[in-house]
Amino acid sequence: MHTNHPRLPGELTFMALMVAFSAFMLWTSFHISKFDSISSPGVFPMLCAALMVVTGLLSVRQAWKASSSAQASQSVFQQFVIQLAPLKLVLFTALIVAYMLALEVTGFLVSSYVFLLLSMQVLGSKKMVVNLLVSALVLICIFIVFRTAFSVILPAGSFLGPFTPEWLK
Amino acid sequence: MMESLGYFFMSWLDVKMLLLTAAGTFAGIYIGAIPGLSVTMAVSILISFTFKWDINEALALISGIYLGGVYGGSRSAILLNIPGAPAAIATGLDGYPLAKRGEAGQAIGLTTVVSVYGGFIGILALAIAAPAVADLALMFGPREYLLLALWGLLLVGTLSGQSLSKGIFSGALGALIACVGLDPMTGENRLTFGSLQMSAGISYVAAMIGFFGVAEVIAQIHQLDLKPVKQNVSKIIPSWGLLKKYLPLATRTSGIGVVVGALPGAGGDIAALMAYDHAKRTVKNPSRPFGEGAYEGLVAPESANNAAVGGAYIPMMTLGIPGDAVTAVIIGALYIHGLKPGPMLMIETPHLFWFVVGSLTLANIFLLIFGLTGIKIFAKIVETPKPVLLPLILVLSAVGAYAINNNPVDVYWMLGFGVLGYFLKMYGFQVGPVVLGMILGPMMDRSYRQAMMATNNDGWLFVTEFFTTPLSAVILAAVVFTVVSQTQWWKRLRGLN
Repeated sequence: MHTNHPRLPGELTFMALMVAFSAFMLWTSFHISKFDSISSPGVFPMLCAALMVVTGLLSVRQAWKASSSAQASQSVFQQFVIQLAPLKLVLFTALIVAYMLALEVTGFLVSSYVFLLLSMQVLGSKKMVVNLLVSALVLICIFIVFRTAFSVILPAGSFLGPFTPEWLK
Repeated sequence: MMESLGYFFMSWLDVKMLLLTAAGTFAGIYIGAIPGLSVTMAVSILISFTFKWDINEALALISGIYLGGVYGGSRSAILLNIPGAPAAIATGLDGYPLAKRGEAGQAIGLTTVVSVYGGFIGILALAIAAPAVADLALMFGPREYLLLALWGLLLVGTLSGQSLSKGIFSGALGALIACVGLDPMTGENRLTFGSLQMSAGISYVAAMIGFFGVAEVIAQIHQLDLKPVKQNVSKIIPSWGLLKKYLPLATRTSGIGVVVGALPGAGGDIAALMAYDHAKRTVKNPSRPFGEGAYEGLVAPESANNAAVGGAYIPMMTLGIPGDAVTAVIIGALYIHGLKPGPMLMIETPHLFWFVVGSLTLANIFLLIFGLTGIKIFAKIVETPKPVLLPLILVLSAVGAYAINNNPVDVYWMLGFGVLGYFLKMYGFQVGPVVLGMILGPMMDRSYRQAMMATNNDGWLFVTEFFTTPLSAVILAAVVFTVVSQTQWWKRLRGLN
């Protein structure tokens, strides 16, 4: 019931956050129907949240007892950046967030094309012509397949939508 | 009988369904083989697109992808030493050394045939066992369903991870997420924080795409620099002598695959590892030492993981409890199409069961055809560089999440679960139990309350009936054993630690 793996940087903080979240959910679940009855709507969420608190605390204990993987010469934050959040990963995640937000504004085709190009570049695919062609080709395929076979309406975008021809929506 | 046969051959005789099964199997092989793509991810994304389809067409496509995907993982394990899917982890142990010896073609050919063989045994077990299990399941009440769901969650949480407490935490988190929204029994708001948007609940398809798609894509960034090794692929079709030699082992390990697959929550990955372990313990004179290119090390896991597919369908079709993560997602698809998996599904819509058995059989035949052909082109495609592949998966995931309700909120949920899933994975939590918890949570909630109400909210009677009802007592014993067998105390007793 324990792990022999060394503790990763940020693991204790993450576990503590999970326990705090579980405790908050336990409190919220309690307020659904308090202790009205043993089969009330709040009981099952309370059981789940209570189980999360207990197992979360056990996981904190395990992480606490495990030896740290961080090297003494580096701070925990530096180790966290190296092992869990390297620059490429942070940039890629930021691009994903921007892409999700842009979907509604600029529409599927434009936002997806820009996202594909930028993220391929960020992740290390340096052949610009290949990136331009692959992105375009894939988007054309997705657009045709999803519009015809799956009948999915893709977002046209609030900003560019009014200027987009009907067949491209 | 004739009627059942008619449904069995439905996907064989309808051109559209035949093509969908073929396309699914073909795509499944590639999805399973390309590191970074998984069957669970593909089926999760696909569900959001196919919910407008006829259920038979959707199931034909999904059956093909499932069988093809479980097999496809072996290709990259052999050629690149990167298991394309968790079920192929054991395959790489001997498959890659074989490829390094210049026997990649032979290894792929043998893997294909034993996978198909295992697949058939799994389907046969499904056809024979499922009707019997469904009859037994008619005797189950809310208490038994509660225990079965709990057992499934515990099994997936404990067998697939390193830590029992983290496994249970993940399952409970999934069940809690499933509680968000209106309570189906009283209509009361639960965990919605006053938001109208959250009253509708959190889409489990968005969560699945987040946990299996986005989280995996983000985690793959740590492995961007892995360079594939070029392999020599020739002599693919294995000789009859070679096959005859390994059939007894494949039969035994397929049996392991069926049983492990049929356990609620345990799927092909665990079946493959157990089968590999079985081969190591029982084969006295392997073709080469295990880990250095033993054919037995390929035959055992590959026959077991495909046999586990048929096994995993047994609890799904008969009890409504998923055998593994993919069947958890397929249950989601059945719900979307207005069907409720369980014993009544088998009784009220037996045609659906025989249709699934027929589609799986057909997909298995396609697996043999596609498995033994086009491998040289295949070797090139699985080498698709990740900087190109990962953004494409992300775009597909976004489209999938958006397509559920044409609502951007589902895309934001997907992203949130993706980031959470990444950290959970990195810190040793499994995301499979979270999704299983989301599927099983509502059933557990309902079963618990029904069982409690049946005792007039008498807590003591509720507890004692677990011991006094024979069926409940047996399942409870299995649940307790699952927990106890993961403790240090038990491991010390068995001399394992």
